[in-house]
Amino acid sequence: MNPVWIILFAPLISAAVITLLTRKAQMLSALISCAAIITGFVLTLQLYSAMGHGEAHSLAPAPLTWLVIGDLVKIEIGATIDHLSVLMLLVVTGVGSAIHIYSLGYMKGDPGFSRFFACLSLFTFSMLGIVLSNNFIQIFIFWELVGVSSYLLIGFWFEKHSAAEAGKKAFLTNRIGDFGMMLGILLLWTQTGTFCFAELPAKIAAIPAGTLSLIAALIFCGAVGKSAQFPLHVWLPDAMEGPTPVSALIHAATMVAAGVYMLCRVAFLILPSETALHLIAWIGGVTALMAATIAIAQNDIKRILAYSTLSQLGYMVMAVGLTGITPAMFHLTTHAFFKALLFLGAGSVIHALHHEQDIWKMGGLWKKTPVTFWTFLIGTLALAGVPPLSGFYSKDAILLLAFEHNKLLFVIGVLTALLTAYYMGREVFVVFFGKPRDHHAYDHAHESPAVMTLPLVFLCVLSVIAGWGDKIPHFISEHMAEHGEHPALLTAGLIAVPVIGFLVAASIYLRPNPSDEPVKKALGKLWTLVENKYYFDELYALIIKYVQGTIATLCELFDRFILQKVGIGGLAGTTSLAGKTLRYLQTGNIQSYAFLFGLGVTVIIYYVVVR
Amino acid sequence: MSIYAIQLEILLVILGISTLLTDAFKPAGDKRRLGLTLGVLVGVVFCFSFLLKAQTDTAFHGLYRLDAFALYFKRLFLVATALVLVMSAEFAKRIESGVAEFYALVLFAATGMLLIASVNDFVLLFVALELVTITFYILASYLRRQVTSLEAGTKYLILGALSSGFTVYGIAYVFGTTGTTNFDSLAAALRTGGIPNGAFTFGMLLVLTGLGFKIASVPFQIWAPDVYQGAPTPVTAFLAVGSKAAGFALLLRVLLAGLLPVQGVWALLLLVLAGATLAYGNLGALPQRNLKRLLGYSSIGHAGYMLMGIAAVNALGAGAVLFYLGQYAFTNLCAFLAIVAVTNATGTEEIDGFAGLGKRAPILGLALFLAMASLAGVPPLSGFFGKFQLFAAVVEAAQTDSRYYWLAAVGAAAVVVSLYFYFNVARAIYLQEAEDNSAIPVTAPVRVALWICMAAMIGFGIFQRPLVEMAVTAASVFGLK
Repeated sequence: MNPVWIILFAPLISAAVITLLTRKAQMLSALISCAAIITGFVLTLQLYSAMGHGEAHSLAPAPLTWLVIGDLVKIEIGATIDHLSVLMLLVVTGVGSAIHIYSLGYMKGDPGFSRFFACLSLFTFSMLGIVLSNNFIQIFIFWELVGVSSYLLIGFWFEKHSAAEAGKKAFLTNRIGDFGMMLGILLLWTQTGTFCFAELPAKIAAIPAGTLSLIAALIFCGAVGKSAQFPLHVWLPDAMEGPTPVSALIHAATMVAAGVYMLCRVAFLILPSETALHLIAWIGGVTALMAATIAIAQNDIKRILAYSTLSQLGYMVMAVGLTGITPAMFHLTTHAFFKALLFLGAGSVIHALHHEQDIWKMGGLWKKTPVTFWTFLIGTLALAGVPPLSGFYSKDAILLLAFEHNKLLFVIGVLTALLTAYYMGREVFVVFFGKPRDHHAYDHAHESPAVMTLPLVFLCVLSVIAGWGDKIPHFISEHMAEHGEHPALLTAGLIAVPVIGFLVAASIYLRPNPSDEPVKKALGKLWTLVENKYYFDELYALIIKYVQGTIATLCELFDRFILQKVGIGGLAGTTSLAGKTLRYLQTGNIQSYAFLFGLGVTVIIYYVVVR
Repeated sequence: MSIYAIQLEILLVILGISTLLTDAFKPAGDKRRLGLTLGVLVGVVFCFSFLLKAQTDTAFHGLYRLDAFALYFKRLFLVATALVLVMSAEFAKRIESGVAEFYALVLFAATGMLLIASVNDFVLLFVALELVTITFYILASYLRRQVTSLEAGTKYLILGALSSGFTVYGIAYVFGTTGTTNFDSLAAALRTGGIPNGAFTFGMLLVLTGLGFKIASVPFQIWAPDVYQGAPTPVTAFLAVGSKAAGFALLLRVLLAGLLPVQGVWALLLLVLAGATLAYGNLGALPQRNLKRLLGYSSIGHAGYMLMGIAAVNALGAGAVLFYLGQYAFTNLCAFLAIVAVTNATGTEEIDGFAGLGKRAPILGLALFLAMASLAGVPPLSGFFGKFQLFAAVVEAAQTDSRYYWLAAVGAAAVVVSLYFYFNVARAIYLQEAEDNSAIPVTAPVRVALWICMAAMIGFGIFQRPLVEMAVTAASVFGLK
């Protein structure tokens, strides 16, 4: 069997086995799930090294034909093996393995332990399916599967009302984007007659420019949903209701990156369309800045990271819009490392404080949880883009790209970078420095077990070294266009940006009893605005209430009075009347039965023979 | 050659007679175990049947054929018999005396059905048919102290005798006008002789009357609801699965092997009867409150669906009927197994008595629900694909004769109506609250049998190919296009 299929299907088998057989044996279930993804990681590493030697495409298994409708439609389940997908496989299985192991400690004692790992495996399968897809239908199927498994994991603690609601919100919001994506896929098919990634590039040229832009924009809708871009970003912060490893795996490292990955996969569609590129770049830029501003006023240790994720995804999408496939994937990879690290670190803090998530109840934790502190700090520096950590290289690649193509987006990007350093500084200073604010929680705080800290160290190492020597960009595209020499001033400026951000944050928050008061005073109304996330949720609630609510009421009236009463009621009444009438034939009297029998014979013979 | 051809029948007769003999000399203490043993043995015979090869020539001077068609039906009957025996074993405690004879009669009826699968001559047709029917007269009235069972047996006897009379009278006319009772020479005679005279048609219609009675097609369906309701449940199941399939085996063989040259005379008649049967079975089921009676009407309706496939007179239709019968056996047996298990505990056959079954015995609830969904033709269960093929056959026939569109329309309406009463049962299982919420015990053999049936329903619904291929091979003996 081709190892690619094993990478893909091992997690599915694990999910099935856990659900059907080993649910009662918790530890066994967890180990099955871990074994599945670690197997995938090892095989991916082999694939990676095999790739260095020869042709990438020869490693791909032959596609399986799934559905054939005449000459019209042929749908395959196949696998694409190229530099893009192998890099993504490494991220998903590598970061995924770390998070699976971390979960062994974090989820310990949870009544749904086995279910958690079954869902995690199902998610891994779906995500790998997206990565490996070789056609639009397949990617769409797995796209939806990712949506489902994400729903299951966000609402994992479904007995908590807010978690169940968050799961629903995430699923529905994603569906809006997915609907656009489906329209795009169908429109593309009407133009080209194929879904296959390998066949499409040759047929793109024949599509009229306007239609192509529309297709690209519609398919981009899918990425807007999954990668939580403005205006469908509202689900991601709420998704933090899920267990923290889920936030790390799905809502930082992999699922939300799927949108960016998909855009890179179908870059052949997007790059020819100037309009679509503009749209994508601006959506990304707006999301990056908007999310960064919201993050400065949040109080939940995970929500700050969630808004930071939105902001970083905005960078990646913006990079795609600026035709920078390589910088986008580069940042995707490094971000997966340090953001997963930060989430797991936050999880470790939450674990230490017995499920306390409010940063204003923490403080001074650096002494109590040293490993968590140091890894979290390194993750923060990487995220902020401090050299020589990985975030510096990938973020600068994007900012330099913006500098070349669009000065306004460059300014937005720099502002975002400044804010990033500021809000991450705020989080670190409030959580780990100063005086402990909740003494009871502080006294009971403890460092997490090794099963949780080892993944932190692993991810920490990756976050440090991933940017060195431009290995990742060179892996993605071997003939990457070398950047022209940039003015030393620009590079120095980009290094200075995070430093300034940290200094500002330190001046406000690095004190024994920090508070938001000075910032609140300085920003005034603006603070209320960002604290309430620009009122997006409220706005959407109003739209749903008035627009959708009115349409739904009208439909319901039509359904109840016209369809049910007149249509269904009339038909059903007639039918059941006929049924009741037939009952009179069935008298139970044998004489009449025999008579009817004879009558039947006579009638038949009369009609066939005599007439 | 001749012995080779009838070895399955011989095995069943040996089983039946040894059951009778052992019971006469050394009565088995545990009647339930006896039934289960016999069920397993018939299962072994079923496995053995795969060693047999289809023969191209006839045996017993043209009376008997062991072709792919015959083998398909023999296997179908063997599976059904095995499951009916398991069901009978569960039911055995409700039979006051003569349990061993009950099993033996089931085996003899099965022998008759196996013969029917191979019939190639009107004489053997009559003998085999009577072997099955007379056995069923006894089986239907086996609960001697129960008035409903006696009533069912009597009704079946009187109407059955009437139909047998018509059949044998018709055979005489066919023989008189063509000079042969053999299907092959009959077809040859009709092919060279051109359009037959009125006397021949008269005889042919009388023969079809008898077969119409077996499959419960309009206008010979009137006995079905009463007999289905009154007969002991395993017998009802055997009627619905074995006897009906036997009727269809004969109908296919007589019409497609013997009477194919005169299809102009009977195809249109079947079209009308199929439509009428569909309407009668599905409309009549609507007001029913008794589950066995409901299934009686349902079996009329399903005769209608399968008649659609024969009326289409094409290879697709013949194959579709065979596939349908195959999956229909598992579906119905699944339903009746669940009914036996439930009525053993609750003593009621009313649909209301099945309320809350999903909670009281999840496996029975699931099995009955799946059976109802498959009967209604809900994908991905096997009933859906069966109906799909039948409708496809009718639509194909409609390409040359547009009147078949009407039949397809009636069939589609029937499917819609049937959803209502099948899901009424499903509603009772899962949505209604039971007054008595005690758990219903399910014995291991029933559990195994139910799993087999459910696996078949789901399996043949998703991976249809194996059964379709068997059905198509079996139907290919008629050489239809």
